[in-house]
Amino acid sequence: MNGASNGANDASWLDRLVDWLPTTSLFKFIAAKILVPIWAWRTPVKRLEGGPRPSVQPGDNVQRMMNLVMPLKDKSAVGRALAALAIAQNKDEIYAGLDNVGTVHFARFVIVADNICMFSVYDGDFTNYIRDFIVTIGSVFDAVVGLVEGGDKVIPSAEHVDEFIDWVHDHDLFQVSDVATDILRDQEAVNGDAGGGKDDLRKLPRQLILQLNVNRNVSLGSGYRAYPGYSAAQVRQRFGVGW
Amino acid sequence: MSTAFNPADVQGNILRGYRKPRVRYLMIEITEPIAARRWLTACLAGSDGVPQITTEEPWETKPDICFNIGLTYPGLRALGTPAASLASFPTEFIEGMNKRAIKLGDAGPSAPENWDKPFNQPARIHLIASIYADDVARLDSLQRAAISDKWGLKLLEPARDGWCFNGDYVHFNYTDNISQPKFAEIHGTDNYPDWDSQPMAPLGTVLLGYETNFEGLTWRLPQPEALGHNGSFNAFRVLEQDVVGFEDYLTSAADTLLKHRDVDALLPPGDEAKIGAGLSRRDALRELVAANMCGRWRNGVPLALSPDTPNPSPDVSRTNFDYGATSRCPYGAHIRRCNPRGAQIVQRVANHSRRLVRRGMPYGPAYVHDPSKPRDPNEPKRGLLGNFIGANLGAQFEAMSCDWLNLGLQDPRVTGSNDPLLGANEPATSWFDLPLPSGEPIRLRGLPRFVTTKGGAYTFLPSISAIRYLGAMSG
Repeated sequence: MNGASNGANDASWLDRLVDWLPTTSLFKFIAAKILVPIWAWRTPVKRLEGGPRPSVQPGDNVQRMMNLVMPLKDKSAVGRALAALAIAQNKDEIYAGLDNVGTVHFARFVIVADNICMFSVYDGDFTNYIRDFIVTIGSVFDAVVGLVEGGDKVIPSAEHVDEFIDWVHDHDLFQVSDVATDILRDQEAVNGDAGGGKDDLRKLPRQLILQLNVNRNVSLGSGYRAYPGYSAAQVRQRFGVGW
Repeated sequence: MSTAFNPADVQGNILRGYRKPRVRYLMIEITEPIAARRWLTACLAGSDGVPQITTEEPWETKPDICFNIGLTYPGLRALGTPAASLASFPTEFIEGMNKRAIKLGDAGPSAPENWDKPFNQPARIHLIASIYADDVARLDSLQRAAISDKWGLKLLEPARDGWCFNGDYVHFNYTDNISQPKFAEIHGTDNYPDWDSQPMAPLGTVLLGYETNFEGLTWRLPQPEALGHNGSFNAFRVLEQDVVGFEDYLTSAADTLLKHRDVDALLPPGDEAKIGAGLSRRDALRELVAANMCGRWRNGVPLALSPDTPNPSPDVSRTNFDYGATSRCPYGAHIRRCNPRGAQIVQRVANHSRRLVRRGMPYGPAYVHDPSKPRDPNEPKRGLLGNFIGANLGAQFEAMSCDWLNLGLQDPRVTGSNDPLLGANEPATSWFDLPLPSGEPIRLRGLPRFVTTKGGAYTFLPSISAIRYLGAMSG
């Protein structure tokens, strides 16, 4: 009996040590600066694609989120002001675009640090959404994207439709699934592994860290709705405001 | 960008239907690139026993056989196409049809992991050759001549044969092949407005290097220009049709309607004869449901012009119509979903923009619906070998498939439902609204999936110049 209880005390002591260690500055430093880079070097992880998860459920294909984070070329107050002006000068076109494209619920422009961000909620397929906007108000896209690193090669958007859509998709944040094992599935899919069925849940935090190592900005979940998904046109029709 | 149109540079299966009784599709793996490139060159001249590629050049007498090819992205790579050229192709083509499955509604039984051979190995499908002839013996001999080891080509079994039924009808017993985009360069503009209410399509609807459906927008031309110009893209699909399930559904829908309180508004008693002489009320309702699901009566007469009878007097155009605010064609009918013409739609910029050239032939024996016969558990496989051709797969085939055919984003009155004929329907959640001349529609439920994807591939249909370019590549 004594031996057993001593053993339990040892384990508790060890457990407490293991729990305590990661909270120490030294351990945090080693983990972030040494362990993660070594992991990342030993286990190369591909960056997961941005945008909502593909789904055939109608409810998943309305009210989808786009989260574009685009680093400005000019990382000064002047650069940020130019971005602000590009939006302000095109306000009327943006409203006209929303009206004619018909599949957008909300669109917001935000400057965070030296990034111009565009967050929107749209219905249906991503490429159709962007293509329809290029058709309608491509010049507004051009004005904004022209201020962004790497944007010059995809404007004017009307002449680089495919490249522009791919470029925007590349700047759309990866949406981390709310379902824990999906991160394993996503990683397997992007690495081309057959995968599945052999989940080692202990690897989950590691996979998440490795993904966040290559994907610095992500969306947590795909947006949380307070009511079921309806298209913008369904809302407009029900409220009799024209669609 | 050169805009003068040279029909001799364009493969012949893009802008016209050959209307041959038989077609065979050969799925081919390139095992030896140098020999395969020699084969491409031989195809241009029709030398060394290889059939000659049929072009768009006008003919006085129709040739005995027609022959065309499409290349997949793995095929272009297997031929040794330079990396810079490969990278200039659009993303959806590079990824391939199987990777785009969710967008196309290819999930569940239609998912690529359930596709038939050889489509279950998409990386090996490099080239899809199509042969059109009058009979099977001719197809066999052409196949032997066209494909052999000496050309570095391996046939991936099984080949797929399609054939024309007597007349223009297809499985589910609808008349097909009625409406296609019309091009000024091909069809001329004389009398056009009387023929079709839709605007003529710019050549860039189907060919790369021309003005597109969207003013001011150009699609990326695969490089070099000799490779991209006058090319096109094709979504080749093997679509299995559950003909028995379809006829059974019509019967169960008719039985449901017979008990519906508004059935007399849908079909006023006494009007059965308008639908067909001697039809029972139940059979008339079956045909009415079939017509509403498609948007055309089974003989091709559009509901938009003749909502009450497939035999209007005087007769009506099969093509010259639009969907006005009072149209009796259901918002969710197949032909209206896939091509809303000038109807009010959510995506206002998209009217007329997602049109495709469709070339298809049925496979499997024609089905004759006979309710008195017991259901055969070994019904032969039936379906459609379809080609959905356009200059931009993403802007046309995929855009139509994911937002319109399924999901129904174009009209809030159908959003959340799928196409009644082709859609990825689940009986537990599916619905389809039958419009009544006045008031609320009657909602049908429980539609199963009638069409299951069994295979397919995105192919590039190279121009004659492009085939010459590919054949002459070195390295």
